[in-house]
Amino acid sequence: MLLVPCPNCGPRNSSDLHYVGEAQARPNPSEATPTEWREYLYMEDNPAGWLRENWYCRSGCRQFFTLERHTGSNEFRNPPMPGNKVGGKA
Amino acid sequence: MANAPTTFESPVVTDYSTRPTNASSDVTLTDESSTSKILIRAGSETAAAQQLGVPFGSARQSGTVLVSGQRPSEWLILGSAEETDAFVAALDLTGHVSVVDHTHSRALFKLSGVGSKGTLEKICGLDWDDAITPDGAVVSASVAKANCDIVRFDADEPGYLLACDRSFGQYLFDAILDAGDEFGINVG
Repeated sequence: MLLVPCPNCGPRNSSDLHYVGEAQARPNPSEATPTEWREYLYMEDNPAGWLRENWYCRSGCRQFFTLERHTGSNEFRNPPMPGNKVGGKA
Repeated sequence: MANAPTTFESPVVTDYSTRPTNASSDVTLTDESSTSKILIRAGSETAAAQQLGVPFGSARQSGTVLVSGQRPSEWLILGSAEETDAFVAALDLTGHVSVVDHTHSRALFKLSGVGSKGTLEKICGLDWDDAITPDGAVVSASVAKANCDIVRFDADEPGYLLACDRSFGQYLFDAILDAGDEFGINVG
C-alpha cells in the first residue's frame, strides 16, 4: 500500500487518489507548436529517481496537488502538511 | 430549491420490518435520507464563507442545523427543509457562491451506538480513533468502496452521519448492515 500525503486530508491510501501524471509546465496555447503539445501531452521523463507529479484526491478533498516522489523507493520528499487534518467541532 | 419535489423517496427500498432485532445490540443504522441537504460552495473571500465560519474538516451545530465543512470552500447544510431554507436565506450570497439542493441526490445514514466505530473500521480504511476523528470531525473517504462524506456526530453515544450518492444508497445500507452483523446491528 502506498500512503500518499494529501495536503488537505493527510496520509491516504493511494487507492483513494488518482495519479494524474508528471507535473510539467503547460505550453502557451497561442505559441506552442504541435511538437511541443505532443511532448506535453504524451511524452514523460519517467526517471528512476525524484519526480514531481500531480495527484487528485478523489475520495477526500477532491483537490489537485503536486508532490515529489522517488520512483524507486516511493518516498515522498517534503510533503505539504495538511492545514487542518484533525477535525472537531468548530 | 423552490422546484424541489415535495415528496421524498428514499434510495433504501428494502423492507427491514421483518428483520430480527437484537435486544442486546449496541449499534443502530438509521436511514436519514429525507433530511434536507444543501450544498454551498463559496470562495474563501466571500461573505458567505465568513458567515459559515466552519473550517474544512469540522462541523458545527447552528441551532438545529448542522453545518459541515466537507471540502475546502464547500459546506453541507443538514436539517429540516424549513430550517435549512431559513439558514441559507440568512446568508449573504453575493460573489462566487453557489447553493444546490442535494436532498434527492444523496443518501444519508446515521450509524450510532458503541459498536458504530467498530462497524465503520471494517469497511473504511481511515483511522477512527477519537484523537484523529473526535466528535464534530468531518472526512470524506471510501466506505465499502463508495465515496462518502462522513460527520462524527455524537449524541448520548458515538455516532456517524454518512452521505453518499443516491445510487449507492441501498448498496451502502446493506454493506453497513453486513459489517455490523457481528455487533448485532439493528435497523432504526
